[in-house]
Amino acid sequence: MNPTENADSPITSITSALVDANDQLLAMYALTEVTTDSLDGETAVREILQQAQTLLRADALILDEPEGLSVAVGTSDASERPVAKNSNSPLAPTTASVSVTNESGSQVNLTARRADQPFGTADHKLLTAVANMALGALHTSRLHREAIDQAVVARDHDTASQLAVRALPTWQPDMASVDLFARSDPARAAGGDLFTYAEVGDTLHFVVGDVSGKGLPAAMMMTNVISASLAAFHGSGHTGPAAVLSQIDSWLYEFLSDAGLFVTLVVGAFDQTTNRLRLANAGHSPVFWSADGAFELIEANVPPIGVLPLNVGPSIEEVVLDAHPAGRLVVASDGFSEQASPGGEMFGEERLVATLSANPHRSSGELGSLLYDEIETYADGAQQGDDRTVLILTIRDDAKQERADP
Amino acid sequence: MDIITQENPTETTISLELRGRFDAHEADMFRAAVDQAIDNNNVQIRVDLANVEFVDSTALAELVRGMKRCREQRGDLVLVHPSDPVRVILELTKLDAAFDIV
Repeated sequence: MNPTENADSPITSITSALVDANDQLLAMYALTEVTTDSLDGETAVREILQQAQTLLRADALILDEPEGLSVAVGTSDASERPVAKNSNSPLAPTTASVSVTNESGSQVNLTARRADQPFGTADHKLLTAVANMALGALHTSRLHREAIDQAVVARDHDTASQLAVRALPTWQPDMASVDLFARSDPARAAGGDLFTYAEVGDTLHFVVGDVSGKGLPAAMMMTNVISASLAAFHGSGHTGPAAVLSQIDSWLYEFLSDAGLFVTLVVGAFDQTTNRLRLANAGHSPVFWSADGAFELIEANVPPIGVLPLNVGPSIEEVVLDAHPAGRLVVASDGFSEQASPGGEMFGEERLVATLSANPHRSSGELGSLLYDEIETYADGAQQGDDRTVLILTIRDDAKQERADP
Repeated sequence: MDIITQENPTETTISLELRGRFDAHEADMFRAAVDQAIDNNNVQIRVDLANVEFVDSTALAELVRGMKRCREQRGDLVLVHPSDPVRVILELTKLDAAFDIV
């Protein structure tokens, strides 16, 4: 300072005001540069308050949410905040408070304190702007966090769905007279339709089923049913499909019942030494059988697993089919018959039977592919309403040759 | 789907009349109606299905769930006058053996 000037001279005052104004401009610039894309909303709010403290020449700024975050700058203890926190409350001369609420109902209260001079109208407006900016930063941060959380859930959902789909077998039985096609297309990433099979000695055991409900919960239950089925094939398969069904029910009934789900399940066993096919059907439809080209519906004789304990309900009766010299079993899920056209009409079982009847000489694979093509043509872009599953078991002496040379 | 509720204040019986499609999209509404009835000690639930055009497996699972909840409370969920499409589904799945149908 020039010794001829004292601190109260006009030049000193103007210089001081210019410096202050420059500091405030810099603070304003810094305030606009505060990044709000951080996951940490508290950090963004603290940066905003630090810049606002300079702009307002405040000794302290305290921001809080009614039941959430509390951030204070300029004081080491948030408990030192002024009593008056509501803009409608009488304010002490060195205290200013505002409360702002956004469209989603979130609210923050912002209080400023300074000792040297009272806050004016412009200060209140600036305080309101800062409070809105802090509220916006918190909102953006939380939206960002929610988006990341949702992405994590979606990724886990995809992984679980892929694992569920991989529970379905893709190999072919090594039996000379058996030609098998099985495919399941879930309506979503994963579904509750299922099939699996296993060769045990001279017998091909298989199941086709449909867990009630859709999506990942049904898919999780589906994998349990597949595991139980494979275990039951080896544990009770020698006794027949009724025993396998009973075994699966004894393992899964309580689990399904507690989850409020049930499973329609047809259990089959084809013995290549006797050419006999035995079925036990717990509520699954449609199941078609043809020995001569004409298809008949094989009805269920017990309710689905999970509805009533099968060991106290109706006895499980097996259907025994003679597959000599040939026979074809087709098990589908309701996603086929209930597929709607763009006009809302369902595909229905009659169209399914018509296609089966018109193609008696096609291999299982050819017929299965034809069915899927037909349903896609029929849907004509209409949304797939449910999982679609088909298992076709063709039994005849030359089936092996057809499979090798389609 | 519409649900029309008729309650008999002197008994523990309630009637739920369903209209339209009963599928996965409507299951939550039906579950809420059944749960509310049972919470109000109306454990004899009559579900009128005469005007239901379609049921899917999710809807059937809700009917089964409601039936089990009622039976746990020594009541029952009875299916009343199921329409032809519903009756066919009940027969194909053998669920007609599990429900009391009138």
